[in-house]
Amino acid sequence: MILLADAINTAIIGKGLMIGGGFIGPGIGIGLIGGSYLQAVGRNPEASRFLGQALVFVGIVELIFLLAFASIFIVK
Amino acid sequence: MISRLWMFGDAGPVVHISPGGVFQFGGLTITNSILYGWLCSVILIVILVWVARKISIKPRRGLVQYIEAAAEFIINLVEGSFEDKKRARKYVAFFVTLFFFLLFNNWLGLIPGVGEALHVGSIPLVRPFTADLNGTLAAAIVTMAVVYTASIRESGGIIKYLSHFFIGSPLNPLYLILGLLEMMTDLTRVLSLSLRLFLNITIGEIIIAVFSYLGHVAAPITAAPFTIIEIFVGALQAYIFVILSVMYLAIAVNNASESEDQHLTEEDVADKISLRPKESLSG
Repeated sequence: MILLADAINTAIIGKGLMIGGGFIGPGIGIGLIGGSYLQAVGRNPEASRFLGQALVFVGIVELIFLLAFASIFIVK
Repeated sequence: MISRLWMFGDAGPVVHISPGGVFQFGGLTITNSILYGWLCSVILIVILVWVARKISIKPRRGLVQYIEAAAEFIINLVEGSFEDKKRARKYVAFFVTLFFFLLFNNWLGLIPGVGEALHVGSIPLVRPFTADLNGTLAAAIVTMAVVYTASIRESGGIIKYLSHFFIGSPLNPLYLILGLLEMMTDLTRVLSLSLRLFLNITIGEIIIAVFSYLGHVAAPITAAPFTIIEIFVGALQAYIFVILSVMYLAIAVNNASESEDQHLTEEDVADKISLRPKESLSG
């Protein structure tokens, strides 16, 4: 098993898994925020003044996406 | 890893994540982000003092108008989060300055001279202050120090401030553990504030570097859409930093001040909502 670990570059596989798994969550999260904002505006057009606050929540969710992106440079 | 783009057969885009030392001063190394931070502070002081002298009752066109609009935006934000407007006045100046400092740091990193164009040896001469984890960590530590000092002072002592974390008596083991978990969440705020800002700006720089590498001669055309996105992201991240700090402070301050509604009796409640009890049916 030790020889196998030397032949396979496990760092690249680790990076691929982290990218693949880590980019799912924030995408769904931002899509949900956008969807509920649009639903609220559809029911009540006066709710479009909450656009600024919706973008603030998008910025908070994006932290998770950026942590997954940063792990590319951290794992060797 | 980015330097292994084999398709062009040369070195790949040059991307730096950590800052490099530019010159030595005393025993300390001055890095390129520190240099950029000083430059931005000087520009900020000059512009804001100049604008403050030109403010008058009648609004003026030009740069003064924009800076006044941005400052008023942040002032409304701070005053809206606190219930007591007079207390909010004490903290407005700090948050407006913080917002403008982060905004200028993020935006001035996008002009073409900053970064790879000017070199000292092999490292760039200037580099955005917020694209450096040391820089954003410093900003987050200073901000949270101000927030903690202000909350302790408004609550009237450390014991009273800590007692807001516990919903019951701390001798109860369940409430003790919940209170300690709340305190630990408090301490991770410094890390989350600094990491969010650092990662957003650094990844923006990396994206612009990769796309200007991919279009060798047409670099201004291929990197232009991402520069526009980075303008928006820089402003949004500065705003998020300030709004989260204001919220942390408002939680502590609003907990501390008791509203006058807590000590009412039944008759006072009826008086307050202008409802008279029915008269008894005795003759």
